[in-house]
Amino acid sequence: MKQFGDGLFAKNPVLVLALGLVPAVAVTTTAMNGLALGILAAVVMLVAAAVNWALIPYVPENAKLAVRVLVLIVLVTFAYGVLVQRNPGLAAGLGIFLPLLVFDELLLRAGDGEKSLPAALLGACGQGLGFALVLVLLGVVREFLGMGTVFGKQIVSGALAPFSLAGTVPGGMVILGLLLAFVNLVSKRGGELHD
Amino acid sequence: MTDGLQILAQTVISSNLILVQGLGLYALTRYTKSVREAAGAGVKTLAGMLIGSILLWLLSPIVPSSPAPQVGFYLLVGLVASLAASKLVMCETSGTDQAVDGALVGLLLLLGRGNTVGFQNVWTAFGAGLGFLLVLVVVATVRRRLDLAPIPKPLRGLPILLITVGLLGMALLGFRF
Repeated sequence: MKQFGDGLFAKNPVLVLALGLVPAVAVTTTAMNGLALGILAAVVMLVAAAVNWALIPYVPENAKLAVRVLVLIVLVTFAYGVLVQRNPGLAAGLGIFLPLLVFDELLLRAGDGEKSLPAALLGACGQGLGFALVLVLLGVVREFLGMGTVFGKQIVSGALAPFSLAGTVPGGMVILGLLLAFVNLVSKRGGELHD
Repeated sequence: MTDGLQILAQTVISSNLILVQGLGLYALTRYTKSVREAAGAGVKTLAGMLIGSILLWLLSPIVPSSPAPQVGFYLLVGLVASLAASKLVMCETSGTDQAVDGALVGLLLLLGRGNTVGFQNVWTAFGAGLGFLLVLVVVATVRRRLDLAPIPKPLRGLPILLITVGLLGMALLGFRF
């Protein structure tokens, strides 16, 4: 259970480990995009953690990275195929950032350093959920500031026009930076990189 | 010739990979502790982008046409290109020496959905890599100044870096319209 809670809060991938920043900044222009990518990433991570747990101990040291990437390529290509078939609009909204999950350090580390299968799965589950939560939070804030809507529902119109930069990638970086600062303030940490 | 210059200006400035597209934030946060390291990582990515785009150019007759296998194909090319680049360009990067490169693959995927074909893609990749290298070096120097500035404690490190880079990106957005 400890692994699960760690992934969610104490070692949240975006807020603490600073992993998965590209999707956090680029995809979360709407809450729906954030939610969709977060859930897909969590599912892929869970499966990848199981496969890696079974496979990685038998792979020679210098080929481990390539094997991890290959596992993710298969999983993500499959997920992309399913999404394109079921919901082409959403697939287009996520653009290149769903396939790009393959090369994200967060997913490459799925199930890393855990001895037992349940621990690896719990860890991946927690990290995946923690990741999805942050993506949804960013999505809600950016969609509200950018367009005055949340999950497509109009909340205010017009008044927020000067904040429309929140919908762009640089705006996303600033908002993520402010969110990280807020988290540091609450958890009373310095804001250094935690590698 | 003017086409070439236009592509270069577009890829380096108005659709800069890091600042405007948001790719390669891993490299941006990890490899900008010194100018030397940033330049090394930038050159490595530039080399990978050239290798990847040349591979795509050579392999263009056999790119699958349905969406999912096509994405898988680009990801594989990206993996090969980034492994090749990390063997080719030796540079010391602190932390985990990450051999695969998200920005490189992102560029290949972007090339894949653009309408341009053939050698033009290689030129686009060169511009994108140049823009990437430039931003890493600029951010590395900015970070040296940030170290000296009196920044409130919660903002230190990653938050102020992201905000600074975001502001830089907003400046570049001005060239888009």
